[in-house]
Amino acid sequence: MVQTIHPPKAADHDASNNEYMLEVKGLRKAYAKKQALENVTFSLKPGTSFGFLGPNGAGKSTTMKILTGIVKADSGTAKLFGKDAASETDAVAKYIGYVPQDITLYEKLTAYQNLEFFGEAYGVKGKELKQRIHEVLAKTGLLERANEAVSTFSGGMKRRINIAAALLHRPKLLILDEPTVGIDPQSRNHIFEIIRELNREGVTIIYSTHYMEEVEALCDEIAIMDQGTVKAMGPLGQLLEQYGQKAIYLEVPGLTEPPQDPYIASSRKEGSGWLLETEQPSALMQRLLRQASQQAWDVKQLEIVRPSLESVFLKVTGTALRD
Amino acid sequence: MRSMIIKELRLIGKDKKSFFFLLLMPIIFIVMFGSVFNQGEGGASVTLRTIDQDQTAASKALIGQMKGIMDVEQLPADDVSGQLDKIKQGQFSAMLVIPSGFEQAMKSGKAADVKLYQDPSAQMEVAPIQAILGSISTQYREQKLTDLLIAKGESQAQAEAALASPIRIENVTASADKFSVIDQVVPGMTVMFVFFIMITMARRFFEEKKTGLLSRIRTTRIKPLHYLLGMWFPFVLTVIAQCVILFAFGHFVYGLALGDVAALAVIVVSLSIAGTGIGLALSFLVPGEGAAMVITQVISMGGAMLGGLWVPSYLLPKAVQTVGHFLPQFWAQHSLQDIIAHGAHLGDVWGAALILLTFGLAGLTVAMLRLPGFLRSAAN
Repeated sequence: MVQTIHPPKAADHDASNNEYMLEVKGLRKAYAKKQALENVTFSLKPGTSFGFLGPNGAGKSTTMKILTGIVKADSGTAKLFGKDAASETDAVAKYIGYVPQDITLYEKLTAYQNLEFFGEAYGVKGKELKQRIHEVLAKTGLLERANEAVSTFSGGMKRRINIAAALLHRPKLLILDEPTVGIDPQSRNHIFEIIRELNREGVTIIYSTHYMEEVEALCDEIAIMDQGTVKAMGPLGQLLEQYGQKAIYLEVPGLTEPPQDPYIASSRKEGSGWLLETEQPSALMQRLLRQASQQAWDVKQLEIVRPSLESVFLKVTGTALRD
Repeated sequence: MRSMIIKELRLIGKDKKSFFFLLLMPIIFIVMFGSVFNQGEGGASVTLRTIDQDQTAASKALIGQMKGIMDVEQLPADDVSGQLDKIKQGQFSAMLVIPSGFEQAMKSGKAADVKLYQDPSAQMEVAPIQAILGSISTQYREQKLTDLLIAKGESQAQAEAALASPIRIENVTASADKFSVIDQVVPGMTVMFVFFIMITMARRFFEEKKTGLLSRIRTTRIKPLHYLLGMWFPFVLTVIAQCVILFAFGHFVYGLALGDVAALAVIVVSLSIAGTGIGLALSFLVPGEGAAMVITQVISMGGAMLGGLWVPSYLLPKAVQTVGHFLPQFWAQHSLQDIIAHGAHLGDVWGAALILLTFGLAGLTVAMLRLPGFLRSAAN
């Protein structure tokens, strides 16, 4: 069953409330005949690690491009510290570090030369720039490769320099658009550590991905996007509680049909056992234990299943998360 | 903007393709054209193949007289038909045969015939030979008349005065320096290959767009106009460096006289602005790199042909000369040659410099008008 979830309304976040560093209201954007964004609204408090979760084409990148001033919205506003992202681009650029989905570096130049260019582009100069380059190279673990051409780097190293180039001006908001695409788990973990450290230092993070485990690992607030709209938004725990599938997993050899019980909303075969969805997992667990005793089941496994973000996504969008 | 300029100069420095188009190719062309057309100190000379079947003092005197004016290659006396076949096959354009009895005819006062065999399809090459032979024939006639007048009792001076032409043509060169093929080839090839910078420019702009770098740069504090100027200025510097290297090559390898260096510098800077300004406009007007490459070749090669970079403008048809006046290549070549070969100074070439700068600024204006659309297209 698909439950229709309405995106949060602008009134949910008081625009005049200064506790929000970023306030996005009613963004709409269409490319040719395709509606890329439809009434996207959300606000962020400083220090948040905010995850945009959704399939390709959900509108995540368009939202980020509007925040950074690359794309102009057809209607709606995006304000960072009260500055309009569309018209006050220079003021907004001081606060934002943007890491695009693609590796956007000059491959023939060295890592140092790339950082030098982006640092100056963000207005950092002289000794401060040199110091910042040293710091971000150390943070990304590439200090020893600073004077080598980026073209000689592995995919993971390129991703790290791609992030480093957005950090030179000490941004208050770091926007990362799928920064781990196509890299090995070790490099991914390294990038996660960099992001967690930045967040601990007070940098607000907006992290876009279509990998649920990344959002679960990094973000304390999540917006689920699909087809240009925010389908659900809130802290991870709240979303899991509100939309997550509560279920019990039961494995009994020879049990060819799922047990019948009024507490079971639906059931399906999963592995060697049965996944039994319910709104009251504790009560159902007790009833199943009783039934097992009465019918002398040889129970191999009986456990309450932790709600997953995948089930939240399925519930709010009606579809599984596609790559 | 400083960061843009430094970054772009670093990238140009690592671009081997550009090095090939902007420096290696023009040097190869200069060497090639220089070798073909610049044989000998006095430039190209006329060669006449000759068969002397008479082998007398008179025939040898005629050949000696011809050698004073042009190159004479003597062929075996018994191979007339073989040499005629070579003319028919296009191996050379003309051959003079002095038949037996040449001296005897002269002594007897009869017309001494010589035969000039020629390829009818090579009239441009044969024409100077005919002119030289006509001149020698006239000298023989004058000598014959002088001898007759002296025989009738006139003095040598009276005879020469009687035969003197009523018109005297005095050859006066317009400048103190002599003009060589290198004076045409070095500026010609330099101007032609300056416009190849447009390929590099278009490639760089499309790379920035395609890779997402342009979008990323837009999230920084670099303003659109600074982006445009920051991308443009390194190319101006590159073309200036290209011109300096090519003129230095001409100067040190072929002894090309550079003339007034200040005037030369002004034209080189103006030409750099013209070539890169048009390159900017092209980068923002065409839909892709492929189209830019085709149009660059049309502009470079077409402009070279019509602007007098391959052959002097005055040798081109009148209509082509007129069209050439609308091309930056014409003004660049014209002013460079004026400086190099005709002793022109800054005051003589400022008009051409102004025209070149106008081309460059027109290109910059087009690019500025197209920039917002270019940036929008990079975002999607």
